[in-house]
Amino acid sequence: MTDDGEQAPAPEDTLRLMEEQRAATVRALRGDPLLLYGPWGVAWLLGFGAFFLHYGLDGVPYAPISWAQAMSVLMCGLLVAGGVAAFGIVRMTGVIRGGTAAKGAMFGYTWFAGMVLMSVIAAHFSPMLPDHQAGLLWSSIALMLVAVLYMAGGAIYHNWPMFFVGVWIAAVNALGVILGPGWHALLAAVLLGGGQIAVAFWLRRRT
Amino acid sequence: MTADHALPELDPVIHAQARLRVMVTLNTLADGDEIAFPVLKDLLGMTAGNLSVHLSKLEEAAYVHIIKTHKGRTPITFVALTKRGRLALEDYTTAIRALLDSAGGTS
Repeated sequence: MTDDGEQAPAPEDTLRLMEEQRAATVRALRGDPLLLYGPWGVAWLLGFGAFFLHYGLDGVPYAPISWAQAMSVLMCGLLVAGGVAAFGIVRMTGVIRGGTAAKGAMFGYTWFAGMVLMSVIAAHFSPMLPDHQAGLLWSSIALMLVAVLYMAGGAIYHNWPMFFVGVWIAAVNALGVILGPGWHALLAAVLLGGGQIAVAFWLRRRT
Repeated sequence: MTADHALPELDPVIHAQARLRVMVTLNTLADGDEIAFPVLKDLLGMTAGNLSVHLSKLEEAAYVHIIKTHKGRTPITFVALTKRGRLALEDYTTAIRALLDSAGGTS
């Protein structure tokens, strides 16, 4: 008997109850992996897919998509994904306060600073490059930033899946840069866009 | 309870199912983090009154720390596990495992 007079459950039931409660809490507080990873995956799949059709593998476009159109597709996708992420962050404000909230705020500002710095650097150098190389500069340093910040995020939140997603992005990015703009866009669309969507579904099934 | 003398004592404050769920939920937070009362209430599916009663019992045992503050003009309450609370839950888990082992149950 407990001091409330309820019947004490068997030890195995108690352990199961504890595990269920822990898992449910982690799921509720961490957010749905489908919303965390999915929108970025879709944005990359569509955006880099459009770039791939624009570049082609041997310099001949596969579809009449201009560079500006491909860029618009990618940017729209990223804006939607960013909107979903911002909604998630707003939903979590006021839920938990303390060290984790401070970490989240600093990490958020780090992303923002990184994106601004990346734009300044790429905008400075891209006019000096041929069109194809300028596009590759933008997409490769953007992916470098994302890769490094995912790995750092893994370290901050002690989250191995996030860390390995970062490693994966870094490896695909490096390979794509070596192979050239068409390949970079193709690999980013399929392996990174598709990969993020696959990770989103896998993480959701696991939790 | 006719417990064997070798069996560990279970902490009666935590052993009530509702309070055990409160403790486990708070234990998932990182050290130094506090959770808003309405969120905790929703996570546990309890009424505010019910949760308050359990939290006062846990506060009496110095297992939880309750912080009443304001967000703008709205009063808001945050809840966190104390160091003592974390240790108590750890001890409780160890005791439950020992009980399971001594009963020859499946783990």
